[in-house]
Amino acid sequence: MRAEHFRDSSSRASLGVALASLSLGFCVESWSAAQNGGSPSTNPPAKVPAGVILVKGAWSSDSDPTTPVPEAGTVTSRHYDSPYFHLSYPLAAGWAQQFAGPPPSDRGFYVLAQIQSADAATGAVRGSVLIAAQDMFFTPTPASNALELVSYTGSHLRADYRVERPPAEVTVAGRSFVRLDYFSPVTGLHWAVLAAQIRCHTVQFTFTSIDPSVIQHLVAGMADMTLPIEAGVSTGKGGGDAPVCVKDYATGGNVLNRVDPILTDRRFNSIPVRVVIDTSGKVKNVHFISSFPEQARTISDALQQWRLKPYVLNGKAVEVETGILFGAPPNRALISGRQEPQLVPARKHDPT
Amino acid sequence: MARIQQPAAFVVGLLMISAASAQTDPGVRPGAINGQTGATATSPLPLASVTANTPTGALEFFEDGLTRFQNVEVVSGGDDNGLGPRFNFNQCSGCHSQPTIGGSSAAQNPEAAVISAGIVSGSTNTIPAFITPNGPTREARFPFFFNANGTANTSAPNGGVETLYTVSGRADAGSCNLAQPSFAAAQAANNLIFRIPTPLFGAGLVENIDDSTLLTNLAAQAGNGLGISGNFNRNGNDGTIARFGWKAQNKSLDLFSGEAYNVEMGITNETFPQDRPLPGEDVLGTGLPANCLNLSHGGYPEDATNFTPTSTSSDPFAVNASIPSDVIGFAMFMKMLAPPVQSTTTPGGATSISHGSAVFNSIGCSVCHTPTLSSTQASNVTPSLGNAAVRAFSDLEIHHMGTGLNDNVSQGNAGGDQFRTAPLWGVGQRIFFLHDGRTSNLLTAIRAHASSGSEASTVVSNFNALPVASQQDVLNFLRSL
Repeated sequence: MRAEHFRDSSSRASLGVALASLSLGFCVESWSAAQNGGSPSTNPPAKVPAGVILVKGAWSSDSDPTTPVPEAGTVTSRHYDSPYFHLSYPLAAGWAQQFAGPPPSDRGFYVLAQIQSADAATGAVRGSVLIAAQDMFFTPTPASNALELVSYTGSHLRADYRVERPPAEVTVAGRSFVRLDYFSPVTGLHWAVLAAQIRCHTVQFTFTSIDPSVIQHLVAGMADMTLPIEAGVSTGKGGGDAPVCVKDYATGGNVLNRVDPILTDRRFNSIPVRVVIDTSGKVKNVHFISSFPEQARTISDALQQWRLKPYVLNGKAVEVETGILFGAPPNRALISGRQEPQLVPARKHDPT
Repeated sequence: MARIQQPAAFVVGLLMISAASAQTDPGVRPGAINGQTGATATSPLPLASVTANTPTGALEFFEDGLTRFQNVEVVSGGDDNGLGPRFNFNQCSGCHSQPTIGGSSAAQNPEAAVISAGIVSGSTNTIPAFITPNGPTREARFPFFFNANGTANTSAPNGGVETLYTVSGRADAGSCNLAQPSFAAAQAANNLIFRIPTPLFGAGLVENIDDSTLLTNLAAQAGNGLGISGNFNRNGNDGTIARFGWKAQNKSLDLFSGEAYNVEMGITNETFPQDRPLPGEDVLGTGLPANCLNLSHGGYPEDATNFTPTSTSSDPFAVNASIPSDVIGFAMFMKMLAPPVQSTTTPGGATSISHGSAVFNSIGCSVCHTPTLSSTQASNVTPSLGNAAVRAFSDLEIHHMGTGLNDNVSQGNAGGDQFRTAPLWGVGQRIFFLHDGRTSNLLTAIRAHASSGSEASTVVSNFNALPVASQQDVLNFLRSL
């Protein structure tokens, strides 16, 4: 796990898919590239490629190009597939992704896919599907699972919206989801939010359309999703083929040897990091959700020296995934002072 | 941020949107400048408490700053010297002029007339191809340094301003002989981006918002369901929130003023005391040639505090106002400029504007373009700056805007595709939109918010899902601001 082996996660995504690289442009710069000054490239391009983000701010990256990460899913004409979440969502006929989402945020928020359907005659958008994930280790809300997070959303909707269906549990593709529906009286737009927790992330599908039947159709289509066994409104804590996920595992007495990274140049941004700790207590994989390259190098050098207690499950050491926040703390205090989410008692609903 | 494999269907759909659209940008709103009775093209209004001259002397400082903002700078001689050796224009108000002094890019671009106006020598300067008489006023940057063979080195980010003109050939410039940057070569290498002037109305209110107010607003954006998750550009020294400039790279108006005076006009000052070489000259350590330094012959900084007041007025407050440097004068002018006033009826009528405002909120525009930040800190400058609601329609955060708006220039913590949410107050009388002024059509500007990697794509999708009448109401609302 040497720093020079780290790669921008978007660069890694290009390994599997080459077709859209020019339009997406997230696959050009690796961390080994000089950030300023520098000598002439050995193979300079004739032109700066158009539509490519070459100069990035804080971005995601990871130590192992072969280990799945949340942001490296793919959208084809038929599916959104996420190796990280072991999730496959079938796209309705005529629906496709026009634009990929932004990089993960420093609060652990991911836009995984943005899928739309447009009327062929007018170009008007019939509806959209936003597939997103919130890393529950870094959520700025007081929620600790998918049920609480969607309930938080429902209780903090702005005055522009009316709740049509308060947050409640439903069953989708054999797994428990939480569903919240709301609409805008001004525009007639309807939203349906369905979410479940997987690997300590709230994976959220947000369907939007003026036509409620479009949303109904899309929600019904979720029945054909494939999901990991762990998925659920408050389960979803890893295991099986994935490491178990435990919040704040790398704290207190679990850390046998800790070396703090010394951030020098940039030190006022939050740097959320997901690490996988192997059965011997060493850091096996590091996923920087949002960091500048020099920060990732410094932090990865430090993490190589960490030693933790192996995580024991049923008497056996297993791999564990946890989150560590470096850099400046987020303004979570402001959130915690807000109104707590009003949880609605769970009840079963037909997802359609 | 998943990859796309079949975008073709949406390309077709997007092309058809424009063909089917009936909604139109109403254009620059007619009527009172900035919506303010009494404002003229050369007399922007100050804040109410400044108009009332509270505290006593504030009005003289505003008026003095306004005068300095319009001063025409020369290289040497006279009172207003220090111009160059490189500059984009010779007068702040030349670029900040729409719809009045302190605004943004005007219909007639003065940068295109610098030779005919005798501001630069036509024997040593040419007008770059991207500077046109009816185009936006622009500054230029090269995102990357060049290789020796003339190609862009994408491993070597640059991003600094490449000043348009030189003083060479002017009668007051001595023997200084500088070449312009190679804009044509940069354009050929697709290594050229632009910025237009940011409007300054209400800037003092923006400056006086406490960080906690901005952080609270950021917290309220959690769970927005739109894929939006911005952050702040922070000052590298103290970590507080920076908020001025297209990428929110500047902390304060004093800093903004000092940097612009140096970078745009080449005038050294107490904040930026050295003549600025081009980024390439700086990196290579060659700097500016000796015969291009200290061209005003007065030493550095060329703009400084006036230990002896320059005013001989019988008004003691006018005398006071003449003591600070130009940079402070500019900053005071900007601090005290009143924000634009929204029209409740134009364009489209009150019902359309009101509905457009509600639609704007409902589809998610207002998550980033926060209508009101409330409220400012108590002010030690003038009462109107204190405890005031700021209807700037901005969260002052930086957001990823995707490949479509990316300019590959990093400033502070903002990367190439990250931009400050542009405040929308006054947008009704703006001519050019987006950071590079690429369009004068508000509808085009809205749709340019969607591209791969943008946080705004879902919101634009919501906009595109609306009936034409609702889209028109949004456009009318925006032009009412």
